[in-house]
Amino acid sequence: MTSRPGFDAVLEAVRQAFVGADGAPAATEVRPLGPAEAGAVLGDHVALAVTDRAVLADLVPGREITGAIAVAADGGRHGALVYTTAATGAPPAAVAAAIEAATADLAGTVRRLRNEAAVLDALHSTGRELTAQLDIDRIVQDATDAATKATGAGFGAFFYNLIDEFGESYTLYTISGVPKEAFARFPMPRNTAVFAPTFDGAGTVRSPDITKDPRFGKNAPHHGMPAGHLPVCSYLAVSVISPTSGEVLGGFFFGHPEPDRFTARHEYLAEGIAGYSAIALDNARLYERERTLATELSRSMLPVAPPTPGLDVVTRYLPAATGSKVGGDWFDVIRLPSGGTAFVIGDVVGHGVTAATVMGQVRTAIRSYALLELPPSEVLRNVSELTAGLFGESFVTCFYAVHQPTDGTLRYANAGHLPAIMIRPGEPPGQIGEALAQPLGVGSVFPQRTTGFPPGADLVLYTDGLVESRTRDLTLGIEWLLAGIPGLLAAADLGTAWDKLVEELTSGRHDDDIALIHVRHRGEDPP
Amino acid sequence: MVTMSERDVTGNALGDAAGSAGSVALEHHEGAAVLRVDGALDLALAPKLRQLAERAARLEPELLVIDLTGVTFLASAGMAELVRAHRGPTASAPLRVVASGRITLRPLELTRLVDELAIYPSLSDALVR
Repeated sequence: MTSRPGFDAVLEAVRQAFVGADGAPAATEVRPLGPAEAGAVLGDHVALAVTDRAVLADLVPGREITGAIAVAADGGRHGALVYTTAATGAPPAAVAAAIEAATADLAGTVRRLRNEAAVLDALHSTGRELTAQLDIDRIVQDATDAATKATGAGFGAFFYNLIDEFGESYTLYTISGVPKEAFARFPMPRNTAVFAPTFDGAGTVRSPDITKDPRFGKNAPHHGMPAGHLPVCSYLAVSVISPTSGEVLGGFFFGHPEPDRFTARHEYLAEGIAGYSAIALDNARLYERERTLATELSRSMLPVAPPTPGLDVVTRYLPAATGSKVGGDWFDVIRLPSGGTAFVIGDVVGHGVTAATVMGQVRTAIRSYALLELPPSEVLRNVSELTAGLFGESFVTCFYAVHQPTDGTLRYANAGHLPAIMIRPGEPPGQIGEALAQPLGVGSVFPQRTTGFPPGADLVLYTDGLVESRTRDLTLGIEWLLAGIPGLLAAADLGTAWDKLVEELTSGRHDDDIALIHVRHRGEDPP
Repeated sequence: MVTMSERDVTGNALGDAAGSAGSVALEHHEGAAVLRVDGALDLALAPKLRQLAERAARLEPELLVIDLTGVTFLASAGMAELVRAHRGPTASAPLRVVASGRITLRPLELTRLVDELAIYPSLSDALVR
């Protein structure tokens, strides 16, 4: 119901217009119109004489209406029907036309403002959706679709630059409005006279007919659009510029086969969506960079196992396949001055760049103490002290083992890490070093054990990502791993067999890092 | 008797691994603060446990109990928080940990944290003073 004073005055004026045959005011009644009714009866009109019997019978059933005028209120969101059943003189149509004429400007303004608000709403919601995304592929497609729709373009394209792992820039694109195949056989747009302002970030280009633009057709080999290109007459191109670096991330291009289709409004909308896209792409790149940095950092700190006489060593490091939890696991194989070899596997609690840097330092510390030929218990005790002092409360698990070929032994200590697997010829796989001590940074005493490591024996060190996850209990995971060992030992190629076993144990997706070392004692090489 | 409860739940944000998300609830039992942990106590949930353990410590309870009965996965990140609550800079009250079953006990044994933490088979045992 509308009860605004302005509208009441209008209704009153309309009522006065109904006069009987004798010239006296006729009795009128008012029937309010809801939003749907107002829309159906009035359309875009502010006032309208209603003569359709069926419509009137619908609105006011059972009355013999002789004259009726519908009036819009609140910009057409509501309204009212003023009607009479008396015999009237002047035709209501004339009155309606007079109101319509008097309010035409106003109605136009309301319509324009309403359209404006709808456009801003659309831009805002597009912006909100875009900037909540971290997936580059989705950002670019959603942005292209939204901008193509908002500009009323025949088709739209978004060309964007990415940097590959070698630091080389390359360009990808998305298309909206037409199938991607429509562009598949054309080369990437080059920095031609028409495209240059967009790729250089020199400002928006809007042309009623780009084929008449002085910059058009200047560049070989096509001198215009390549043969078979979708016809473009109206042209609008907007740069996407990173708000943090000022770098041009890409450009939106809109085309329409007819001239003069893009207005200042379309330009404004395209620029708005380009602005949101730039923020979204920036966020996605920063996120990606953090992830890649942690992975790269971890990888760069992992060693290539040096050749070790008499031993075959297979190592694997698999960063977490999902999420950004990469960075805490490591392994190391260290040739000692005395002729022995130290094997290290460990896991730093935490993820990302922080865990990766702590890992790098712990690894270096272990390396240093190892090269001093300290016994395993002393290596771990020193590193634990160092760790607690350097990183505050930290929690690093580590298995440290030294193979001494001169006496065929393996001496080891274990700081809260999972037990290792030892397989001696003719025996089933067994676990060694279980629950010997607390993690580095927590414990202070690290008991040491010695066992035989004869030719033909195998040693496996691994991190928890291999045997446990949210859906896999540790105890069960270790059982499955032990069950997989005999098949592994029988395989022709140990590396391939490990890749297969890792795949089986983790069902192809591991949400934690995995590191492992497999040492096979094939017998001492002759000197 | 429970007089107050706060709860934090980890979401499954940004393509995080599938699996049960965990939660931590802080409850008060006559002078004892009880942190009840449910689901996977891993890297995703550990910060919530730390946050609520620190909040609990500020209320200066006589006893802090971390109840792991409902934990379905105890990762190193979770164990690191137990050590922190036990002897970290903000630890004030004595800590008791409720753990039963191999899912929580096994990791605590492998890391020898059972030597250091006071472990109880049930919440009612842990609340006996």
